[in-house]
Amino acid sequence: MGRQYEIPIGAQHISLLEPLHFKFTTENEKIVATEANVYYVHRGIEQACCSKFKFRQVSFVVGRVCGLCSISHTTAYSQVAEKLLKIEIPLRAKYLRMLVIELDRIHSHLLCLSHVAENSGFEALFMKTMQYREFSMELLEAVCGNRIQYDFSIVGGVARDLKPQVAQSILERLKKFIPQLDELMDIYKNNWTLSLKNKGAGAITKEDAMRLNVVGPFARAAGLAIDVRNETEDLLPWKEVGFEMITETSGDVYARNMVRLRELYVSIRIIENIINGLPESALITETKAFPDGEATVRLEAPRGELFYYAKGNKTQILERLKIKAPTFSNVAAMAEAFTGNEYGSAPAIIASYDPCLSCTAR
Amino acid sequence: MNKVMTSIENLKKDIGDFYKPGLHHFMVMNAVEVGDQIEVQWFFSDYAHPCDTTCFYTLVRPETEIPSIKDIVASAWVAEAELVDLMNIKVENTQKGFVLEPDFESGPLRKKK
Repeated sequence: MGRQYEIPIGAQHISLLEPLHFKFTTENEKIVATEANVYYVHRGIEQACCSKFKFRQVSFVVGRVCGLCSISHTTAYSQVAEKLLKIEIPLRAKYLRMLVIELDRIHSHLLCLSHVAENSGFEALFMKTMQYREFSMELLEAVCGNRIQYDFSIVGGVARDLKPQVAQSILERLKKFIPQLDELMDIYKNNWTLSLKNKGAGAITKEDAMRLNVVGPFARAAGLAIDVRNETEDLLPWKEVGFEMITETSGDVYARNMVRLRELYVSIRIIENIINGLPESALITETKAFPDGEATVRLEAPRGELFYYAKGNKTQILERLKIKAPTFSNVAAMAEAFTGNEYGSAPAIIASYDPCLSCTAR
Repeated sequence: MNKVMTSIENLKKDIGDFYKPGLHHFMVMNAVEVGDQIEVQWFFSDYAHPCDTTCFYTLVRPETEIPSIKDIVASAWVAEAELVDLMNIKVENTQKGFVLEPDFESGPLRKKK
């Protein structure tokens, strides 16, 4: 047995995008134990939503939980509020919600891939991936009015319609993006040195993913077929617009890259189908009711299952709002998946988890 | 949502009888204040019937210690640690200081009396 060292990473570290802290116990460069601390930014958003804001305003507040997946939060909250109000939203609003969720998934997956490349030592690939990602940010701005934190989903429907020229622009730019995505797929899949770094790194098995209740691309890369889009036809008709479950088997950083890249093709198909079959209807269902009872909603954010619980009491202010972000479900597995890996692989492994602490600590 | 009432005494047995790692997915724990009691909730979904959400719940006094289900659901320690800090409830073998700093006042999500 070699001499053991304890090495901390974070809360602020050059390889971290988020304020999280890992303490690695290493032995001859191998990580033998990990301690994780993920909470540095608790903002009391749930408390604010149940005390300072009326239930219709809350969709704008939860959009600030996360800059990367705010559409997932606003949509999940709107859905749980609509359950409490017992209203059905117009079909066009459902399609537009799915459109923005998939555009958001494209920019989020590309961001994660770029950081995996950067933390693996591939700075040029990082910049290329970020360059190709830019179109999705511009499209989100064209559809929603903001590059991030778009207040698109509101209680009862959506806040804006899709203009025909914006719809045309989305189709044209997706067409241009496909060869760029093919190029990225070729590099992430076949580059020998990148594969050498990513294959086998931070791997978990399907059994461990089940045991630790992992969600999102982290779970699907290990072969666990869990994707809320496959499961919530009652709220958004994902299968109608071409959803397909993507899984890999090796559960390592390489497999997570492959899952995200393959999911981008699915997102493109979904967006094209939505635009080509966008139904005509109103954008919002009006109601004067107040939320009553309790309800839950699950939604597939880019990082995995997002869960909202809400309880109403027939007043403007909610009794309780609970948010469970995808990263929260992955914390237990994040700590375990380091064990047995080289310390030098830790930054790429962390990036491949795609952790979002802003969501988790909220 | 299928709500199943349980009690502190039967919690581990009820969840132990229900939960199968290959069949069920543990999502999160939650706590809601109901008068001067707290309703503690454990949420599960089903891989085979994914739209089904099962919620085990029990009503307890705020000072009651809740049994930990870590030995049944390996990842539950994260949810338990969160509730200890944010709702100021007691969970077996769980210390405060995971979500908030250890010297921070516990229970910021509890209603102000």
